[in-house]
Amino acid sequence: MDTLTELLGGFAAAMTWQNLIFAFLGCLLGTIIGVLPGVGPVAGVALLIPLTLNLDPTGSIIMLCAIFYGTQYGGTITSVLLNTPGEASSAITTIDGYAMTKLGRAGAALTLAAVGSFVGGTIATIGLVAAAKPLGELGLLVGPPEFFALMVVGISLLVALAGKSMVKALISGALGLLISMVGIDPVAGAPRFTFGMDRLLDGVSFVAVIVGVFGLSEILSYRKNAETPLVHAPGMRSLLPTRAEWRRSAPAMARGTGVGFGLGLIPGMTGSVSSLLSYAAEKKFSRFRHQLGKGAVEGVAGPETANNAHANAALIPLFTLGIPASPTIAVLMGAFLQQGLTPGPSLFTEHSDIAWAIIASLFIGNLLLLLLNVPLVGLWTSILRVPTPILTALILLFMVIGAYTINFSVFDVFVMIGFGLLGLALRNLDIPLAPMVLTLVLGPLMERSLRESLEISQGDFSVFVNRPISAVLIGLGVLIICSPLLKFRKPKALTEDPEA
Amino acid sequence: MSRIKITAAFAAAALIALTGCGANAGASTVSGDDFPKKGKSIDLIVAFSSGGAVDTAARLVQPILEKELGTNVEVINKPGAGGQIGYTALTSAKPDGYTIGATGSPSVVVSPLDPARGAKYTRASFQPLGRQVVDPAVIAVQPDSPYKTLKELLDAAKANPKSMTASTTGLQTGEHFALAQIQETTGSEFAPVHFSDGASQATTAFLGKHVDVLVANVSDVTDLTKQGKARVLGIMTAERSPSLPDVPTFKESGYDVEAGTARGYSAPAGLPDAVAKKLEAALQKAIEDPAVKEKMSALGLQTSYLSGADYEKFWAGQEEDFKKALPLVQKKN
Amino acid sequence: MESVVTKPRSTSRVAPSVLTGIGAFTAVGVYVLVSSVGLGLWTSLGPGPGLFPFAMGGVLVAMSALWLVQELRRPSERSEGIDRGVVIAVGVSLVVLASVMDLLGFQLSMFLFLLYHLKLRGGRTWVSSLIIALAGSVGAFYAFNYGLNVALPVSAFAPLNLIGL
Repeated sequence: MDTLTELLGGFAAAMTWQNLIFAFLGCLLGTIIGVLPGVGPVAGVALLIPLTLNLDPTGSIIMLCAIFYGTQYGGTITSVLLNTPGEASSAITTIDGYAMTKLGRAGAALTLAAVGSFVGGTIATIGLVAAAKPLGELGLLVGPPEFFALMVVGISLLVALAGKSMVKALISGALGLLISMVGIDPVAGAPRFTFGMDRLLDGVSFVAVIVGVFGLSEILSYRKNAETPLVHAPGMRSLLPTRAEWRRSAPAMARGTGVGFGLGLIPGMTGSVSSLLSYAAEKKFSRFRHQLGKGAVEGVAGPETANNAHANAALIPLFTLGIPASPTIAVLMGAFLQQGLTPGPSLFTEHSDIAWAIIASLFIGNLLLLLLNVPLVGLWTSILRVPTPILTALILLFMVIGAYTINFSVFDVFVMIGFGLLGLALRNLDIPLAPMVLTLVLGPLMERSLRESLEISQGDFSVFVNRPISAVLIGLGVLIICSPLLKFRKPKALTEDPEA
Repeated sequence: MSRIKITAAFAAAALIALTGCGANAGASTVSGDDFPKKGKSIDLIVAFSSGGAVDTAARLVQPILEKELGTNVEVINKPGAGGQIGYTALTSAKPDGYTIGATGSPSVVVSPLDPARGAKYTRASFQPLGRQVVDPAVIAVQPDSPYKTLKELLDAAKANPKSMTASTTGLQTGEHFALAQIQETTGSEFAPVHFSDGASQATTAFLGKHVDVLVANVSDVTDLTKQGKARVLGIMTAERSPSLPDVPTFKESGYDVEAGTARGYSAPAGLPDAVAKKLEAALQKAIEDPAVKEKMSALGLQTSYLSGADYEKFWAGQEEDFKKALPLVQKKN
Repeated sequence: MESVVTKPRSTSRVAPSVLTGIGAFTAVGVYVLVSSVGLGLWTSLGPGPGLFPFAMGGVLVAMSALWLVQELRRPSERSEGIDRGVVIAVGVSLVVLASVMDLLGFQLSMFLFLLYHLKLRGGRTWVSSLIIALAGSVGAFYAFNYGLNVALPVSAFAPLNLIGL
């Protein structure tokens, strides 16, 4: 079967009213998570995984993917209206987005961001369709040593980009790997680090860890006297951008798509990197660059297109190679694994119906987001008006339910509380959390491929440098990790990456 | 006032949104007669990753089981440690009939026998419900390999020990035993690579030419042979397999090796009798369903049903046999 | 040291919290190193269960040491710190909730938990607190039980259980 027939089959599966509802609910919940300042996409997706475990794999993944890219859009709303980014990847949008609000063009800014997100997301998904087959076939070249090397590159990029100190990022990564090792050794079967507790044989529940480290710790670090902000929803009439605004946005969207798509393919890059670089590109290439910072539409359309193109492009390495490119994708991958789906080349051979249904639903979800978000902007702003104590209480409620329902046991609630405190300590020590999530999910895969590689080479570590693909990858990884020694500077735009 | 309204609306919306996801499974304790409760789904744990023979068989049986039991049956993959992770999950589940699992010997039989694995279960932790198939072991090489016969391959592996890598589906699984038995009887020596997630990983690595020799079951190589992606050199049974009629048995080639994997379904021990009976009957229907049988044989799997009690006896017999062979696949100190 | 003095929020000494952190990571690393040797780094069957943890324990110890060196040479800016009141209130209330949930059932324990956060800590009005607490406990229980078929715990006490809690 060729790609197009399979995609059409996917559309047929994704268009059942049930799956449409899942996509719709996902977009809705995702946008809410994006709007809420406390819960980021990582914790948000993790929090909702237990609720989808009872669904069939297709429906559950469709919903989680929708939540994932819904958060990307939701973050924009607070950036534009409140000058506080709901998500890290929308941080740069605050500059021109909020300036536009002050000029009375908030509605236009939100509409352009939504259209940009739709364009970027759709083009990136077309890329996924085109890349799925050829990349999937390349997958056979990726043996255990290459797989290990790929993960090393992804983790080293994230470590290099995360926060200010690579030492701290490495500590975070090592902690994630150690947590993933709790339980039965995936190769030889011996229990490791279970401290004699039978409950830990199956490992520490990854959902409880993520919800604790990312979600609960955020709430624990709230300051007491936070005030509920005043927001006003833009009127319906102001939602329509002027013809000049459309004309100026189009090239910005094109550049944003390029930047987001390209960076999304690279493991270890987060969506914030894309939006930051897209803003930098506007500063350099836009005809109206002198207006940036004073409410230029390019400063909204470019980054918002970029982060959505990034989010959808980041699914390409996940679907074709089984490598999660960013922490949020890593959480999504955890959900795939819990549903018995192993992302990677085998996904298209063994579960091709599910894979194509999910891809088709990405198109539908992007369209839904466009239709949903702009008219509903009044609803989103009313959520922002909910007082902090009520939001906190409700978020805690969902965290407890989410943790409890993983295994229907209070044990996981305690795990979540414990990791919430750990997360707070890490935040306080300025240790980035992103590397930890990535290694938490990748840990078992990394360990397995390392041990398989060494069995293939019969104990010879040179197996990683004797094979051309893995040699190049390992070389890249070493270069990235050593970059501070070689005095490579991170691009200036990236030093303040808030997601890392 | 409006704040309260907004908040209440938000709370209500969130709850409605979540209830809208409607699925299955209501929960309460089980006495037996009302099993299975309508809408409560049954988890079928497969201890290997998706795509392998265990998984495929379970997914073939699943729709018939659903029809027979009148409720959802969800196949859940819990791969790792050559099956031990999934078996641990199965035996630590509540014996209420809502969790059953696919069990394959030797992995399920052997893992509790080796103290080094620290398995939390024994044979008594399982309640066998029925055996589905016996899948003989085979040995295959790359289609462009210089070795055309079993003798050529084994002689080469004898002359140059550990010069070729051979896949297994994990330490102390059927493939590992098969490989160990070959080495023991023939004096050849391979470098084993253990793909602990199951046959699909091993096969993928073989197709990518990352390992030289594939030690697998008939069902794993039936398709590969048809597509010319693997050359099967020998099958470890007394008689040739109908799925691979051209492949000589080890005995024909002069080696006395027989090995394979037997697969069935089990529940955690302590199932109420009424529940066990219902599950056993449904499984028998599903396993012996003509359509399922036909699909199984297309995959190279010859159905050989045994009832729960007989499967238990078979299991005990296997335990005796594998106890003797265990030192071959244990780590040496 | 001069550059450090010019920054208003930095100190010339390593903060105790940072030292505690470094100490804790080192301790975990050493523990992992020691216990992974016990698990076996290499067996006759190939790489052992301890190999990967051993490497990670090594990374943890090495990075902690490097961090200490960095801190001694240039102490990091002190972070804003945490609001102990919030941590204790949220942390303790969660622990209490998790401890009594199986005993009192989800509805009653969650109702009290929400009421504490809304009324006592949040200072909301009684009306809004009660409505939200009821929706979040009883409402959520029924929504999950009958809508999603996800069973939240019921009380272990017979009298409470009988009245549907």
